[in-house]
Amino acid sequence: MSLILRGSKRSWAYIWLGVITVISVFPFYWMVSSSLKTSKEIMALPPHWWATHPSLQAYSTVFHVVAFARAIGNSFVVTGTATLGILVTSIMAGYVFAKYRFRGKETLFTAVLATMMVPSFVTLVPLYYFFNRLNLIDNYAALILPNIGNAFGIFLMRQFIAGIPQELIEAARIDGASEWTVLWRVITPLLGPAIATLGLFAFVFQWNRFLWPLTVVNTPNMYTVVLALNSLESYTSSVKFANVVMAGAVVGILPSVLLFVWLQKYFIRGVAMTGIKG
Amino acid sequence: MVNKAQRATVSLLAAAMGTAVLAGCGAAPNSTPSASGKVSISYLTLWPAPQVAMFQQAINKYEKSHPNVSITVRSVPFGNLLSTITTDSLSSNGPTMFDIYDLWLPSLAKDGIVAPAPGSYAADISSHYASNIVSSTDYSGKSYGYPNEVDDYALNYNKALFRAAGISSPPSTWPQLIADARALTKYNASGQIVQQGFGVITSWNSGVVHPWLAMVQSDGGQLLNKQHQPLLTSHAAEAVTNLYSQLINQYKVTSTAMSIANASTTGPYLDNFATGKTGMIIMADWWESALESSMGSNFSNVGVAPIPVGPNGTGSHTVYYSWVSTVNAHASTAQQQAAWAFLRWVNSPASGSNGSSAMGNILSSEGIMPSRTSDIAAHQAQLNTPFMKPYVQALKTAYPFPVVFGGDQLTTDIQNTIESVEYGQSSPSAALNQGQQTVSQLLSQYYGH
Amino acid sequence: MKNRLADTRVFTGIYLGPGVGLIALFVVVPILLTAWVSFHSWNMLTPFATMPYVGLQNYRQIFGDPVFLAALRNTIVYSVASVAIELPLALLIGIFLFNTKARGSHWVRTALFLPYVIPNVAVAIVWGYLYSPIYGPFNIVLSWFHIPAQPWLGSVHEALMSLIILNLWQTVGYYTVIVIAGLTEIPQDYYEAASIDGATKWQATRHITLPLLRRAVTFIVIILTINSLQVFAPVYILTQGGPANSTNVVVYDMYRTAFNFLNMGQASAMVFVLFLVILVLAVVELRLLARAS
Repeated sequence: MSLILRGSKRSWAYIWLGVITVISVFPFYWMVSSSLKTSKEIMALPPHWWATHPSLQAYSTVFHVVAFARAIGNSFVVTGTATLGILVTSIMAGYVFAKYRFRGKETLFTAVLATMMVPSFVTLVPLYYFFNRLNLIDNYAALILPNIGNAFGIFLMRQFIAGIPQELIEAARIDGASEWTVLWRVITPLLGPAIATLGLFAFVFQWNRFLWPLTVVNTPNMYTVVLALNSLESYTSSVKFANVVMAGAVVGILPSVLLFVWLQKYFIRGVAMTGIKG
Repeated sequence: MVNKAQRATVSLLAAAMGTAVLAGCGAAPNSTPSASGKVSISYLTLWPAPQVAMFQQAINKYEKSHPNVSITVRSVPFGNLLSTITTDSLSSNGPTMFDIYDLWLPSLAKDGIVAPAPGSYAADISSHYASNIVSSTDYSGKSYGYPNEVDDYALNYNKALFRAAGISSPPSTWPQLIADARALTKYNASGQIVQQGFGVITSWNSGVVHPWLAMVQSDGGQLLNKQHQPLLTSHAAEAVTNLYSQLINQYKVTSTAMSIANASTTGPYLDNFATGKTGMIIMADWWESALESSMGSNFSNVGVAPIPVGPNGTGSHTVYYSWVSTVNAHASTAQQQAAWAFLRWVNSPASGSNGSSAMGNILSSEGIMPSRTSDIAAHQAQLNTPFMKPYVQALKTAYPFPVVFGGDQLTTDIQNTIESVEYGQSSPSAALNQGQQTVSQLLSQYYGH
Repeated sequence: MKNRLADTRVFTGIYLGPGVGLIALFVVVPILLTAWVSFHSWNMLTPFATMPYVGLQNYRQIFGDPVFLAALRNTIVYSVASVAIELPLALLIGIFLFNTKARGSHWVRTALFLPYVIPNVAVAIVWGYLYSPIYGPFNIVLSWFHIPAQPWLGSVHEALMSLIILNLWQTVGYYTVIVIAGLTEIPQDYYEAASIDGATKWQATRHITLPLLRRAVTFIVIILTINSLQVFAPVYILTQGGPANSTNVVVYDMYRTAFNFLNMGQASAMVFVLFLVILVLAVVELRLLARAS
């Protein structure tokens, strides 16, 4: 037990760090090394631990089998729009809940918070029916619209905006600023960290969504990255293609990995903020 | 006093909800005919990319001689096909033609999703296909489309493993099956099966139920009676389920750990056969191309034989099923007319080469049996290979998988019954009683017993 | 100033409208409709307005259906096991990473957190190959320790556990980071005071660290419960609920019932049962959170 406590022996610490790292990284390693194998080597028994004749063949195949470029484009359109939408609606609603007074505000806010507890599968059947009747299956609108009203975002923004001194708002109003100006010119510039946090989390969440896109998208042209990955799984019929599937997985996770490596400090700070101060 | 803003908010919400409900209840808008007089139709299928490309070539040929028609093709994985059909048929821009599994036909026809073939097309269909194939396109006396592929099941065995175990020919009876499976099975030091004599498939409903039913039918049994009631507690169903239980528990020649199928209906069960860890297994003809690509030159070790006949059986009666090209009943009249004309052409020798239709060529390229009589003749050479010939032979005495309402759920319910025995969760008789009850309840919803 | 008041009233509507309105439209209305559908027989092909009312029949049917009961049981086992394994592990790793003076622990934290941000569909696909009994590396590693090859996803006894391990690998880094964040909030002088009083490190952990992490712990428990009760992707991709329903979970059963069997009434009833389970757990756990803070 004392191994893990303060001031543990250095060497033990390095061993534990090594163990954690190996376990965390190994699936990534296996994914990349498999994707570099030839279809002959991928079927070797026992399996090889690394690609003895690394080849990019699987990568060129995967782009023929699945329209990955298109899927990445779709994912960026859908995720980007939804994230932007969430930011805008959350800032607006968060501002009202933090700084305005009106009857029923607390009740309404509690009601909004309560919807955070509603998992997405609960609304799946009726939402699907609606979008189908509106002829919006295989449409960006179906992927984007239902996610834009976001209780967590509203909550986060309210917490942040509540911390902004009232005097700042009053001063702007006395200078003749409209409510529009107050929100977008005075408040929003102060929300940098909150926007970064919410934006990142919304982005990752939207990018990784599966159940809803799976339900409202049928045409391969409208596949998001996650659906492209899923279809790759159903298109391959033998171990021989494991290298192709793995190459697809590498391509599919690359945007998330790059985003994370680039902005990791905001991610970690964001987790801390949502988990502890929230 | 009610705050104005609050009132505004409330009315906004009410309006939004109202719109949603109205939108939900309103009728789906009709498709708009194109102004130029050109008819656009589309075909939804599950074919992999190479077959889609071949179909596109046929389309290009057709469009040249029919400048007023433009045709597109779209493919989705098998697992998404049924939900895509049912849901897309509700929208105005849904596909004009669907490639469907015959099991789905009753529900799709009853719900008015697919349209019956107009008289001249129905006559075309009944005169160019064998009668048992034509019957798979029927619902309440009407034909609903052009049959395309047909698949059946047979016993696949590994000749190299059989030779090594000193067995000269595949089993044709149950005692032989048990004896051969025992000779083929190998264990490691801890008693685990490392090579199984007889393989089963799990985790994929048809993969579980079809081979089991092929055994039941070859023991003189049936799945349903004429009144659409299940016969899971019949003698044959119990005998086959007991046999499964014995192979797994008593003789230990079948390893459920080697039986899993994945979402694309391949996976470990196929890998185990392909890598020589399974002596024999009952599987459909369409896995030929997957086996070939996994096994390479070892594919020549694969032998195919009829389903072994049970003690009460009169002969080998395997299971077959087919796929049908149908037309969307929600499409406009002009689209439906264009669709039927195209389907007649693409299934006729005029569209293909050497007597085969374009459809026949597409199916054969995937290693699948076409169903049109002239296509079967045109592809005789391919149907005569050592792998395919036994499948074609078996088709002559095969029974169709019962095509009923709720067919997919029925298959899943029976899968649950069989798997609960295979995994030792219940005894054969308890499982079959439970299954009988579940399936009866399901079918009585549609056939009101 | 009167103008100003009118201004804020108008803007209350303008600012709240999109956010709150979309939530009402896409969350609240559908919940009510799901509840409504669960008392009806509906295959989605007939108009919504004409579906026949069947009372509690859908609920009676799912509770008489061994497959759904197995799915409910598996879902609960999956969630309880996830909490029971991940929480202590996140605490151990978090306390270790926070306190260790070994260099590079920052990078370890990054590596640990990374799986959380990638799509779980990708994770499921890759782990499918890792678990492969024949071509996968896990059984080779086992053989180094003279442990016989395992069927993993192919065994009724191991499949659900295999999915729990997959989820553990993907999410433990996230919960560890929450623990670390909780630790940074604990003032250092508490430990200094404790060590002056002669407390051992274990005592300090037991009496200072863990109590002060209560808020983080409750948060982890709630999120972990809610998330794991909704498990879908790995089941859909890897097992389709098999073998023999040993990994069938409620959301998967619901999806199949809705979109393969077109039985929207029963699917909605399933949804509501799971929703109720989540609500009860969330309320209980929120109470705990309120007490902790």
